[in-house]
Amino acid sequence: MNASAQTYVTEDGRTIGTPIMEMKNITLKFGSVAAISDISFDIREGEIRAIIGPNGAGKSSMLNVINGFYHPQEGEIWFRGKRRKPMKPYQIAQQGIARTFQNIALFKGMSTLDNIMTGRFTHMKTNMFWQGIWKGPAEREENENRDIVEHVIDFLEIQAIRKTPVGRLPYGLQKRVELARALAAQPKLLLLDEPMAGMNVEEKEDMSRFILDVNDEFGTTIALIEHDMGVVMDISDRVVVLDYGRKIGDGTPDEVRNNQDVIDAYLGVAHD
Amino acid sequence: MPSAFVLDADIDTFPKLLARNAVKFRGKPAYREKEYGIWQSWTWDEVKDEVEALAMGMLALGLNAGDHVAVIGRNRPYLYWAMTAAQCCGAIPVPLYNDANAEEMTYVLDHCGARFLVVEDQEQVDKVLEIQNQLPNIAEIIYLDKRGMRKYDHTHLNAYVDVQAEGRAGHARLAPIMMERQNVMNANSTSVMLYTSGTTGRPKGVVLSNLNIISAAISSSEFDTLNAGDSVLAYLPMAWVGDFIFSIGQAFWNGFCVACPESTDTMQADLREVGPTYFFAPPRFFEGVLTTVMIRMEDASRLKQRIFRIFMAHAKKVGPALLDGKPVSFGDRLKYMLGDILVYGPLKNTLGLSRVRIGYTAGEAIGPEIFEFYRALGINLKQLYGQTEATVFITQQPDGEVRADTVGVPSPGVEVKVADSGEIFYRSPSTFIEYYKNPESTADTKDAEGWVATGDAGFFEDDTGHLRIIDRAKDVGKMSDGSMFAPKFVENKLKFYPNILEVVVFGNERDTCTAFINIDLNAVGNWAERNNIAYASYQELAGHPQVYEMIKGHIEEVNRSVAQDPMLSGCQIHRFLVLHKELDADDGEMTRTRKVRRRIVEEKYSDLITALNSDATTVSTKTEVTYEDGRKGEIKATVQISDAKTVTREAKAA
Amino acid sequence: MSAEFFYTIEVILNGLMTGVMYSLVALGFVLIFKASGVFNYAQGVMALFAALTLVGIQNGQVPFAHLINAVFGTHLDTFGWHVPAFLAILLALGVMILFAYIVERFILKHLVGQDPIILFMATIGLAYFMEGFGDLMWGSEIKKLDIGLPQGANIWIESATAGWADGFYGFYLDNLDIWAAGIALVLVISLMIFSNYTKTGRALRAVADDNQAALSVGISLRTIWVIVWSLAGFVALVAGIMWGAKSGVQFSLSLIALKALPVLMLGGFTSIPGAIVGGMIIGVGEKLFEYEIGPLIGGATENWFAYVLALIFLVFRPQGLFGEKIIERV
Repeated sequence: MNASAQTYVTEDGRTIGTPIMEMKNITLKFGSVAAISDISFDIREGEIRAIIGPNGAGKSSMLNVINGFYHPQEGEIWFRGKRRKPMKPYQIAQQGIARTFQNIALFKGMSTLDNIMTGRFTHMKTNMFWQGIWKGPAEREENENRDIVEHVIDFLEIQAIRKTPVGRLPYGLQKRVELARALAAQPKLLLLDEPMAGMNVEEKEDMSRFILDVNDEFGTTIALIEHDMGVVMDISDRVVVLDYGRKIGDGTPDEVRNNQDVIDAYLGVAHD
Repeated sequence: MPSAFVLDADIDTFPKLLARNAVKFRGKPAYREKEYGIWQSWTWDEVKDEVEALAMGMLALGLNAGDHVAVIGRNRPYLYWAMTAAQCCGAIPVPLYNDANAEEMTYVLDHCGARFLVVEDQEQVDKVLEIQNQLPNIAEIIYLDKRGMRKYDHTHLNAYVDVQAEGRAGHARLAPIMMERQNVMNANSTSVMLYTSGTTGRPKGVVLSNLNIISAAISSSEFDTLNAGDSVLAYLPMAWVGDFIFSIGQAFWNGFCVACPESTDTMQADLREVGPTYFFAPPRFFEGVLTTVMIRMEDASRLKQRIFRIFMAHAKKVGPALLDGKPVSFGDRLKYMLGDILVYGPLKNTLGLSRVRIGYTAGEAIGPEIFEFYRALGINLKQLYGQTEATVFITQQPDGEVRADTVGVPSPGVEVKVADSGEIFYRSPSTFIEYYKNPESTADTKDAEGWVATGDAGFFEDDTGHLRIIDRAKDVGKMSDGSMFAPKFVENKLKFYPNILEVVVFGNERDTCTAFINIDLNAVGNWAERNNIAYASYQELAGHPQVYEMIKGHIEEVNRSVAQDPMLSGCQIHRFLVLHKELDADDGEMTRTRKVRRRIVEEKYSDLITALNSDATTVSTKTEVTYEDGRKGEIKATVQISDAKTVTREAKAA
Repeated sequence: MSAEFFYTIEVILNGLMTGVMYSLVALGFVLIFKASGVFNYAQGVMALFAALTLVGIQNGQVPFAHLINAVFGTHLDTFGWHVPAFLAILLALGVMILFAYIVERFILKHLVGQDPIILFMATIGLAYFMEGFGDLMWGSEIKKLDIGLPQGANIWIESATAGWADGFYGFYLDNLDIWAAGIALVLVISLMIFSNYTKTGRALRAVADDNQAALSVGISLRTIWVIVWSLAGFVALVAGIMWGAKSGVQFSLSLIALKALPVLMLGGFTSIPGAIVGGMIIGVGEKLFEYEIGPLIGGATENWFAYVLALIFLVFRPQGLFGEKIIERV
């Protein structure tokens, strides 16, 4: 593992910076059950960081801690060099953390375009008054943000479904729209909760491509969860492995793959 | 030799036409493209600037006169400009099918020896880099979309905008060279080289001169009174001669606007937004749209269905007559007007065809019902018969003489004759120069007097002078009892059923005819849903007994109709099977323009054909398939074989 | 065409305009239901309260005068000034927004994640509290509301259409109704534009669709609730003005909520256009029924016909005319 906090350049020419987010000794309990016990790791600027582990390892809980749905009982969260106070999820979103959900949480009745536009919410500042009369600043702001959204639409190649209500889209495309909404926020940190769950091989390849492209083109820092080791190992720079709420491995995909604890955990637990 | 067609020296090449248009149509849109959700447009003078910047940039990169410049990508203004830019440098553009696989692409690039490639995006660059070691001629690759390209080795890779910038920067030095190259070119210089998809064998490079293209553009524009106010949507492959004629030939000649869709998937929506006045689509497109309309109508409320049915029936009665300017009673006119408000207008609008003044279909026969449907709506859909070697036009239907079963009268300036063998020949100023590096084929196809063999068999109707096509000349064969075998004739009849996507009929030198059927997943899938038939895959649906029953019904209906024809009654289908996979261009079973490669299908599925000609009721088979990314796989299937009733040929005796 | 025909048309026109008045009330329900899934029982009382506040401000009434007088033995009544209508409306709107904020701060915030039925109960409580509070604040006597809208028959239409048939004296349309219809139309169009093309509008729809996802894109649920209740308050104010101008500001104003129910059943609880079209159908339906059938069965059908119509609709289209038919795709 690259333990030093130095900036470095990867083989394929991307710059990985200093940690943007640090989780220090996080413990999260539901009643007396600990979902996460004393886990520490960091996410560095510009990297693709995977959190993997068998089902029930505490991956989703960890993502929910980062994004503010859960508040850990113990431990510190540092974001961009500052310790983060307990915050509401929407405040965390305003800080520049966007996410997707394992079970897709799109606004089903709204069009693809509108869904992605909501991703711009935190960047739109005009007040209700201007919005109410729709001229002047509100109109300008709307157009500027529409432009950014259109670039995201172009990037993810979903022009054809711009006006389609997302509830009518097939699963794979919904996943892509959700990624688009998160991307539209131009986040400093993008959290992906099992982005490839339920996809066929071809869709998985497409999604991997998009994740890599996002990271490469925009330099977006990405943290993603997967329980399937295969794809993740190919696309991530560093991997944290959780099992039963504990951290059992942390490092480059190669390091993790050769880690005995990880091998045991994965052999001992059925892949499902 | 055909009558001489003389072009003025100041408009006998495309760079010269562009220069003319930049003045004549200054400020008028020449190209449109939807990008980032907004329609961008470029006027003729802006296009000239863009084209020349690219041309000079390519000169700076070392493009020589006479080089071939391959253009690969979907329809985009920038790629059209690349073709004109190549012409500005005295080079020859060679547009390629962008969905061609590595093998096809290697063949064409190697055959034309392209030194410069202009490609759309990373996907195409990757494809080219993969085969580059087999193509030593490639000197520079210019790509349009910068996305994902940052990390590539840029020694011989250039971004389109960078090349243009280079060209603009070197204007003083490069402009004179460009003008010099342009001035050498004339009507007889090669304008473009287009590879024919080739239903048999390797693709052939058809060399077309400026005279070929421009004369075809002029004659056809006059035939249909095209003008600067028209507009087209460019969505058919750029490598296809028709697209070159519509989007460059006629567009440059008339100065009309060419709109490019945002992406392949958005074509329908873009069509609606552009509302072209001049539109071309293969029969497959019109079939597909009609099927979608019908499926949607079946889901509509009962009231809507009723209104639709009543007015469509009326449209069928008087629509075509109105279109042809024949007398129609006042009451019928009134009812048609009401129908236009309630049904036809809104329907045409959703289809994006409400402004179409002239529509063409060609390439395959179109079902009479499909054809009539569009004509009934008031869309002036016509048929033409053409070939790459003819620069499209051989025959066309004049307004007012439109029928489903003919392909019209000889286009202006084209002479057509039917040989004793039934094969059709033509010659015109637009007849191609030669097949590139293939004098044998050239000699086989084009004789000393300039007559070109079409390879199709047909005849002229005595009373109307319209040409009717029977089949590919070499597909017309004899059955073992000596009667005529014309597979297309039967196949087309079957393909008019919405449930049937593709048919291949076998019977040459055999006792009886048999057929492969491809079902239309869209139509049959919908039918299955309606009838509560569960299926997990295409293969399962294709093999479903009820599907077989339905197809059998269609075949028997066609058999009855075939039996009516004294010459071809032997072509009735005795046994058939529904194929377990769709015929696919990626597997070489079809051309990129989606014509069945009969011979390859025959070889590949020889086991199935043997079974068809035996008594077997099922046959097990393994088929190799190619996935989109070029990997190969194999599907195994047990295919049912079914008999179909035929009608005895006693009618002939009587 | 006969006079009979034109009188029927007149009944339909009047029905349409009455319907629009129903729609105004229904609109408030739809806004809150859409955004938070809460059936706001207090919507009718909000209209009453808004109208009371408007009249109070206009007339310069001292709020809580009775209470103050009782406690301090004073004889306060009015400030003695008269506030212009426009300003009074703005101030009343301010009060409704403040009210929205208080509702969120003291009720909704504490009931996050509870069953809809609990929230519904809470709004019942709120309704009765507001009714008493309104009386206490502004007094319980019947008040006249006049913000300068024209009243009475529209002479111009009447004279212009008179004589279209023998024995037809022209359309009798009330100016106030025409205004109400116009204002309601403008209101609905603005609301739809607002909800479709502005960031807050999108946020409203987003929250209505998926709370968690809305949070994750940075939308604060509490802010949205305040906005929704403010909008509902605004709509209540408009409804209060129209109904108040028509029939005086009094307790029975809060019962217009009952007229909105069948409209909602018809148009769907989640559709803004549904509220309008539903209102129109109910309005026209009940007026026509009263006009054509009423005399045969002794009249007074308007009280129950709307509900019967709504019931019939419910049987055939439970989600309402414009309600979202939820189709789950696999």
